[in-house]
Parts: sequence; structure tokens; C-alpha cells
Amino acid sequence: MQALKHLLLRAFFTLLFLAVPVLGIWTFVKAPDWNVWFPESVSSYGGEIDRLFWLICWMVAIVFVLTEMALVYFFFVYSKRDRTRAAYTHGNHTLEMVWTAIPAVLLLVVAFSQMGTWAKIKMNLPEDGPYSGEHPLMQVYASQFDWRAVYPDREGNFRGADLIESPYDIYVPVDTKVIFTLHSRDVLHSFFVPSFRLKQDAVPGMAIPVWFEATKVGAYDLVCAELCGWGHYKMAGKIHVLSKDDFDAWLEGRRAALYSNGSED
Amino acid sequence: MSRNARPTALGTALLALCSACRFEPPRPVLHFSLNAEEIATQNADLDENLADQEHLLGALEFLFGTPSHPKFLVLPEWADEEVPFDPNYWSVDALASDEESERMAALRASNARAYAAQIAAVRADDFDAVPEPRYAPDLWEDWLALVAERREGSDEERDWVAEGVELFEGYFPLLEVSAELYRQQCYHCHGAEGGGDGSTARFLNPRPRDYRPGIFKFIAEKSKAHPRNEDLFRVLSEGIYTTAMPSFRRFTDAQLWGLADYVKLLSIRGETEILMISDYDSAEGIQPETLLENYRLVVERWRNAQNDFVAYEGEIPESTPERIARGRDLYMDANGANCVKCHGATGRGDGESVKNNPEDATDEWGDPILPRDLTRGLFRFGRRPIDIYRRIYAGINGTPMPEHFGMQITEKDGTKRLLDEDDVWDLVFYVRSLSAAPLHHGAAVPGAAEDAHAPAEHE
Repeated sequence: MQALKHLLLRAFFTLLFLAVPVLGIWTFVKAPDWNVWFPESVSSYGGEIDRLFWLICWMVAIVFVLTEMALVYFFFVYSKRDRTRAAYTHGNHTLEMVWTAIPAVLLLVVAFSQMGTWAKIKMNLPEDGPYSGEHPLMQVYASQFDWRAVYPDREGNFRGADLIESPYDIYVPVDTKVIFTLHSRDVLHSFFVPSFRLKQDAVPGMAIPVWFEATKVGAYDLVCAELCGWGHYKMAGKIHVLSKDDFDAWLEGRRAALYSNGSED
Repeated sequence: MSRNARPTALGTALLALCSACRFEPPRPVLHFSLNAEEIATQNADLDENLADQEHLLGALEFLFGTPSHPKFLVLPEWADEEVPFDPNYWSVDALASDEESERMAALRASNARAYAAQIAAVRADDFDAVPEPRYAPDLWEDWLALVAERREGSDEERDWVAEGVELFEGYFPLLEVSAELYRQQCYHCHGAEGGGDGSTARFLNPRPRDYRPGIFKFIAEKSKAHPRNEDLFRVLSEGIYTTAMPSFRRFTDAQLWGLADYVKLLSIRGETEILMISDYDSAEGIQPETLLENYRLVVERWRNAQNDFVAYEGEIPESTPERIARGRDLYMDANGANCVKCHGATGRGDGESVKNNPEDATDEWGDPILPRDLTRGLFRFGRRPIDIYRRIYAGINGTPMPEHFGMQITEKDGTKRLLDEDDVWDLVFYVRSLSAAPLHHGAAVPGAAEDAHAPAEHE
């Protein structure tokens, strides 16, 4: 009777611990169906980010499954029996070398495999596009609690009365290396466009150049990814990726509308 | 687990359970409060008479309902009008009667975008796959009613798909749905009565608008008129840059027009209340006749706002160096428009009046206010020449910025005349030229362009 009870308890807790890796992997498999996975990548470097994500994800997944399996196995095999005493060991040079070396190698793999992508996205602005850090397509201002894009006047100046302001809705051309500068009017914010795999903090006092190249026409969510105050949840926006002609027409339309006589108001 | 942690954990678990079962606790019935500050300062009799305060509160509820069930009382004379006027459908009626109906088309396009998933499912005749839209419980109720009707089957032939699409595309929220949206999005700054006294209001500079006096700064009307729906809509859609008022474009046009209607309700309620407080006489108490008279008066003021619209026919004039030079003369001349008195010789909002009497610089809500720094290129309600034209032409309600059109000016040769439209345009283009000037006079400052939109020291 006692032995049966012991066996049942062992089985119960073993299965409970087994449920962790099983449910964990199951949620990963089902996530796209529940619509809690990445949206489709629509930027030129989105694929590289995804590859890095999958590299790390697979590393973590394999280690996770192995350690969980070991845990479950040990749980079942070495659960305490009557009057058996635990045996302690201390020091195993080879083992310590192995469990230090393997993570170190994995860390180096992660570190070196991302260097090129990081430099491409964050450190080097593309020079073959129509825009540069000095002549960006637009300035984006984050403030508590909205996003506002400011487009230059016809001469490309960001000072003067003929600028185009567009709150919430940010318009960019497709298949173009868009460079813009990111500013904050008050506190830290973070410009996050999941579909572009782009996230960049906005820091007060800094004009941070950011670039992306959208590859598909559409409207994509922009959110603030840095808790910026009580209205953080309000800080949403839309990036409208237009064909080049549509974008030029939009900008031209806004410039013409500046000189409207206001009868439509 | 500590003793305090247990109820917290229990509560969290209960909440999680409720949200998992989609159980919504019954919403408490909300009520408006009286404008205590106005009563305390304006009418000592009413301040002492708590019974009549209750009467006033009840009278206002009779006209405007509660935050849970807001409504405008429709006066019989409005129902008898040629085109019956019902303020409960203020915006949607105004939009539908618009001849060109460009705004109605924009509203339908905005609905079509917001409910694209629903409309696609309806078009595919897959009525069961229509997902519930957010923030639109009345729309969902109407939709479920339509589905139920179809299921029951009716004798007549009906185009269910077209009706379904029309339901989503032509959606306009009920006043109480707009009130709920207000509660979620606006209440925490603007307060339940629109008094600008919500819980987050005290963190803000400038403070959120108090709607109750019916004074709105950013409108396209002259003569201290009330705003039109279009003005309120524009503020909601564009936000007011450099203040804490964000753009609410993530909601549909219909929702923003609905919010504008609710802001009007709060403002009309507040104005009626203020009139009732000043009219109160302890011998008479709260009289229904006075109440209706004041209500009618306030609503008429709002209805007449359109008449004070500052319109400019034809194309706006071109900016020329001569115009800018004339504008500069008017700006600088104490006998001209005399902008220099407040906005300063360099346009940085540091004129003599500000330097000498800083305590004079308060707005009608009693908050300190400084003249706009015109060199920063930041205009709160639009940078178009016509926007600045209206600011100069009509002044800014509730602030020391006066109406300039028609003010008397003295030319250099001593002749007196009235400031006309052309003078206003001269000023507009001079003001606009200021924002293109270097930020700091003299040496070029590196990174000056980046500083342009940085927060001001004083707002």
C-alpha cells in the first residue's frame, strides 16, 4: 500500500514537471494560430533579424528540452526511497571545464553572428539611398503621448513655416532606404515597428538617425516600447508604406494643402 | 505568503477568472457633480442652500442625463422646425445634411478601414465569422439584431450583405457610447464634468481645458464664438502640439465626431449650470422656466457658431518681400498692430508687457500664460497661413491675444484707419518668416534644427 502510494506520487510529480516542457513547446507551435507571433516581416533587414532570432531560439530550445528531460528523469529515478541517504560529491575538473566551455562557445557564436547585422542596422546608414543623416526623409518626434512626423519644405529645410506635420500617421515610400531622425520632446520613448523588426529608443536632446527599407505597401502598427508615463498605452501610430508615386503625390498634396484658404475647415 | 499578499493573490485570480469567462462586473451608475468652485465664488446664497443645490443637480440631470446615460433634452420648438433639430444626433445630422458630403465620405472611408475585417466577412456572406469590433457596443448590438432577423427568416426579399456592409460603413456611435469612450480616453485629464480637473490634470502644463465656461481657444470663428463641430473634431484628430493633448487618430472619424458631440454636451451643461448659478435667488429657488430659458440660450449660441466662421474667399495671397516688410512695420509699430508689446522685437515672446507685468499674463482660467515664441516654428493649431490668419484676425479666446481685424491703427503720416484683411495677411507672412530665422541671432548654432521642437522652458 505504502509502495503504491509512493509510486503514484512519483508518477504525479514527474508528469507535472514533464508538463512544463510539453506545454512550453506546444505554445510555441500554436502561437501563430493564436495570432501572438511576429507579424509578417516587411523590411529589407527583417529576415536577418528573424534568422538571429531563430538561431537563439533553437539554442535555447535544445538546452531547455535537454535540461527538462534530465530533470524529469532524475525526478523519477532518484526520488527519495525509504532510508536511502543522499550521496554528495564535490569537484569534477573535467565536468566544470565542459560546462564552462560549451556556454562560452555558444555565447561567442551569438556574439559574432549578430555583429554584421547590428552594424548594418544601427551603426552604418545606407549611402546608396536618396536620404542621409544630414538630409533625412523626415524627423519623428515622440512626446507624451503621441508620435508626430515632420517633413521638410520643398528646399529640404527642417526649419521654417512650410514644414508638413503629420501626427499619428507616418507616410514613407516603399522599396526606398528611408532615413529619419528620431527625437523626443520630453522623456525616453521607443519607436517600435514589429513588422519592420525595428526598435529604437528616442532620447531627449538627441537626434538619432534610424533607417529602414519597407518592402511591401500597407499600413503597419507603430507602438511605444518604453514605459513613458501614465499615457504610454495611448502612444500608438501607423506607418503607411506607399508606392513611390503615391508617396510623392501625398507629400505634394500636403504641401499644396498648406496654402488652402481654409474653406474646407 | 504574507497575510497581505493572500487577498491580493485571490483578487488577481478572481479577476483573471472573470476576464477568462468574459464576465464584466455591472457598471456603477455615474452622476455629474456641481461646479462647486463657481458656486462658492459666485453665489453665497446657493452655497448655503444645500437643498437647492440638489434641485439644481436634478434639473441638470433632467436636461443632460448622467455620464452613463447622457442625452440632450429636445425642446418642442426644435422638433417643430422645418428641419427638426435634435442635438442628440448633432454631428451625424450635420454631416448628412452637408451638400458636398465630403466629410460623410471621409467618415465612411474611415469606418471601412476600421471595420475592414468585418466588412470582408459580410461580403463573403460568412456572417458567423464577423469578429466583434472594439469600442462599438451599439454597432455590435445592431449587427447581432440583423443576424437574428436573418436567422428567423422574413418573407420579404432583403439584400442581407448590402445591409450588413451599410451597418458597418455608416456607423455613428450613440451619445452614451461616446460618453464611455470619453470615460476611457479623456476623463483622466478633463474630468467627469469636463472641468479639466481629472486625476492626471495636475501633472500637466498647460492644464487641460475646462469646458464648462464654453470658452475654447482653438477655433476658426471670430467674436468669441463657440466652436463648430469641425473645430472640435480637428483638435481631436490633430492634437495640440507642444501640449499634452495627443492626436486621437487611432479612433475612427465617427468616434471622433461622437466625442465632439459629447464634449459639446459637457460644455452646454457647464454653461447652463454657470448661468443657473448666477441667476439663482434664494427666494425663488430653481425655476423650470429659468432653466429652459438658459438651456435654449446656450444651445442657440452653439448653433449660431457657424455664422462667425472666418472665411477667406479665393486663393490666399502670395508671400512677397514687400508684404513681409509691411507686416514687420505693423508688428513693430506701437500705433499699428503692436505685436511687439507682447511677442517682443525678436518674436521670442519676450515683449515689454511680459517683462514688466508678468503677473498680468494669465488666461481666463487663471493660469499663467506667455506669448508664443514665434521663432520656433511651432503653432499649436496649425501652421497653414490661413490658421495664423485666423489667430491674428479673431484673437485667441480666453487669452490676452486680442481680435485684430477692425482695430484702429495710425499710419506713419498720422492718418487713422482700421486694420483690414490685407494687413492681417502682411502680419501672417511676417510671422511665418520669423520661424525660418536662425534660432539664435548671430553665430550659427550647431544642431539648431534639432532644437526647434525641443520642449519650451515655459508653456
